[in-house]
Amino acid sequence: MNKILSKARRFIGRISMVAVLSLTLLPLAGCKEEATPDYNDPYYNFDMLAQIVGDHYCFFEQKDIDWDELCKKYREKVTPETKQVELFLILSDLLNELKDGHVNLSSNFNTSYYRKWWSDYPQDFNSRTLQQYYLNFNFFTTSGIIYKMLPGEIAYIYYPSFANPISETALDYVLALLQNSKGLIIDIRNNGGGMLTNIDTLVGRFIDEEFTGGYIHHKLSPAPNDFSKGYPVVYKPCDKERKKYMDRPILVLTNRSCYSAANNFTSVMKELPNVRIVGARTGGGGGLPFSSELPNGWAVRFSACPINNARDEVTEFGIDPSPGCEVHCTDAQLAAGKDAILDFAIRMLLEWKEEN
Amino acid sequence: MRPFFPLLIAACLSTHAAAADELPRPIVQQYRLEFGSTDARATYLSPLRYSGQTAGFSAAWSKSFHDNPETMLMRFETAGSLSSMLNPAQTAQMIGADGSFSWGMEYRKRLPLDIQLTAGGSLEMYGGVLYSTRNGNNPVWPNVYPAFAFDASASWHFTIGIIPCLIYNRAHIPALGTFMCPQYGETFYEVYLGNQEGLSHGGSWSNSFRITDRTAMIFDCGRTSWELGYTYRHYRTQANHITTAMNFHTISIGVIPHGIGLRKKSKINSPLY
Repeated sequence: MNKILSKARRFIGRISMVAVLSLTLLPLAGCKEEATPDYNDPYYNFDMLAQIVGDHYCFFEQKDIDWDELCKKYREKVTPETKQVELFLILSDLLNELKDGHVNLSSNFNTSYYRKWWSDYPQDFNSRTLQQYYLNFNFFTTSGIIYKMLPGEIAYIYYPSFANPISETALDYVLALLQNSKGLIIDIRNNGGGMLTNIDTLVGRFIDEEFTGGYIHHKLSPAPNDFSKGYPVVYKPCDKERKKYMDRPILVLTNRSCYSAANNFTSVMKELPNVRIVGARTGGGGGLPFSSELPNGWAVRFSACPINNARDEVTEFGIDPSPGCEVHCTDAQLAAGKDAILDFAIRMLLEWKEEN
Repeated sequence: MRPFFPLLIAACLSTHAAAADELPRPIVQQYRLEFGSTDARATYLSPLRYSGQTAGFSAAWSKSFHDNPETMLMRFETAGSLSSMLNPAQTAQMIGADGSFSWGMEYRKRLPLDIQLTAGGSLEMYGGVLYSTRNGNNPVWPNVYPAFAFDASASWHFTIGIIPCLIYNRAHIPALGTFMCPQYGETFYEVYLGNQEGLSHGGSWSNSFRITDRTAMIFDCGRTSWELGYTYRHYRTQANHITTAMNFHTISIGVIPHGIGLRKKSKINSPLY
C-alpha cells in the first residue's frame, strides 16, 4: 500500500512540475486570444472614426450637422483599394465639415486642420507693426508675456499664447511695473489658446471675490445630446499678498485668431464690469477637445465638452467685442505702422483718464 | 452547507491549544520578481487594445495564527508592477502602473497525502493608473479600489529526488469595494475644477471583476527556498459607458529566506503546508 502511495505521489509530483513549467512558459509563447483584424482596412478605420466622433462630438446640434448623413456620403468615396494617403484626405474632408479648429486627424505623414475659422477673416494684427511702432523693440518679457508702460500712463501686456505657463511670481513683477498706470490693455490677438489653468492665474489678478465665469458640460453617454448639466467654472481672487490690478479700466484686444483658451479668457473677462473687449470677434473654439485614435494608429482630436459663458451660452462661434468697440485694421494700415485696434484702445483709455 | 464566517470567527476566538501549538510558527517570507506580457483596453483613453510588457514585484508574509495555529493563518501581501504597451500600429504608447496591499486571515484544512486547502478573506487597497502619452485632456484612467476580497489556496508537498518541493495555487478575488471612473466624456480639467459627481462607484462582480491566480512551485533547498511560478491577473470595470480591461501573464522567480522548513529535522508550523 505504501509503495502504491509513494508511486502515486511521485507521479502527481511530476505532473505538477510539468503543469507549473507549462503555465510558466505560456506567456512566453505569446498566445493570442482573438483573431487579429486588418488594422489598415479603410472601411474599418472609416467606421471607427465615424463612431468615435459621432459618439463624442458636442456641437452637432448647434452647427446643424447630420453626422450620419455626412458619413454615408463620404463612405461612398472609400473602396477596398483606398490607399492610406487617400483615406487620410477623405477623413480630413469629412472632419472639415465640422468647421471646428479643435478637430485634427494626425498621422505620421500629415495633420489635418480646419483653417477657415480664421483664414476667411481679416487678420487685424501684425506683430512687427506692434513691436516696431508701439513698443520700439524695447520691452520686458517674462513667462511668455511682453509688457511695457506706454505713453500716457497706459499699461500694455501682450500675451501671444496660453500655452506659455504664467508663473504667479512673474505676474507679480509685471503688475508691479505697471501698477502706476491709469488703465491696462491686455492684447491677446493671434493667441490660439493653450492651457485653461492660465486663465485662472490671470483672472485672479482682476477680481476681489469669487465669480462664476462659465459652465462646462460633458457627454454622459454615446446617445445624441446626452450632456451633463453645466458645472460652474469659478474664478477665485489671487492670494492677498499678490499684486492685483483693480478699479481701473481694462481693455482686452482680440482678433479672429483668438481661439480656444483665448476665446474662453475673452468670455470670462467680458463679464467683469471694468473690462471692455476691443477689436474683432474671436475665432471660437468653445469646446474642450478629447483625444482618441483609429486602428491604423492615427490620432483624432475633437471638441467634446462645451465651455459656455457665464449665462451658459455656447461660445463655440466666438465672442463679440463690447458694444461700440468693434475695430478692424486693414493690411495697408498695418504696413504703414498703424494698428487701428491698439490706437482705438489707447484713445479710449486716454479719454477715460481725462474724464476721471 | 456550514456557514463559513461563524466558523472563521469561532476559529479565531478559540483558545483551544492544539498539539501543534507548541511548534515554532515562523513568518514565511516570499519575495518575487515578475516579468511577462500585458494587454489593456481602456475605452476612456482609446477604443484599441494595447499590448506590451510588464515587470513587477510581489511579496508575501504569512504565519500561523497565534491562538489556533492548526486552522488559522494570517497573511500580508503587497505587489506592484509597471507596464509599457503600444497600440496595434505601434504609434502610441500607454504606460500602466499599479500596486496593492492586502491583509487577510484564512481557515486551513489539512487533508491526507500532504494536501492543504485554505479559504478566507482579506482587506485590500489596490491602486492603478493607465496613462496615454498622446492624449491631451483625457490622458489618464485612474483606478483606486479598496475592497474586501476572497482568498483560497491549495498546496501539496512532495519530493523530487532529494529536493522537497511544494506546489501551490492561490486565487485572490476582490468581491466588494469602490472604484473610480470618470464620466463618459468628462475631461480631467472638469475633475480639476472640482466636479466629482459620478466618479465613485460601488464595485461588485456585476461591474468590476478582478482576479489574481498564481501557480508556483517551491524548491526547498535548505536555508533558502526558491520559487518558480506563473501568475495570471485580470481586471475589468464597467461604469459610465466606459470599459476597462487588463490582463497580465507573468512568470515569477522568487526567494524564500530561511526556507519553508520541509528539510528541517525539527518541524515547524508552516502556513504553506
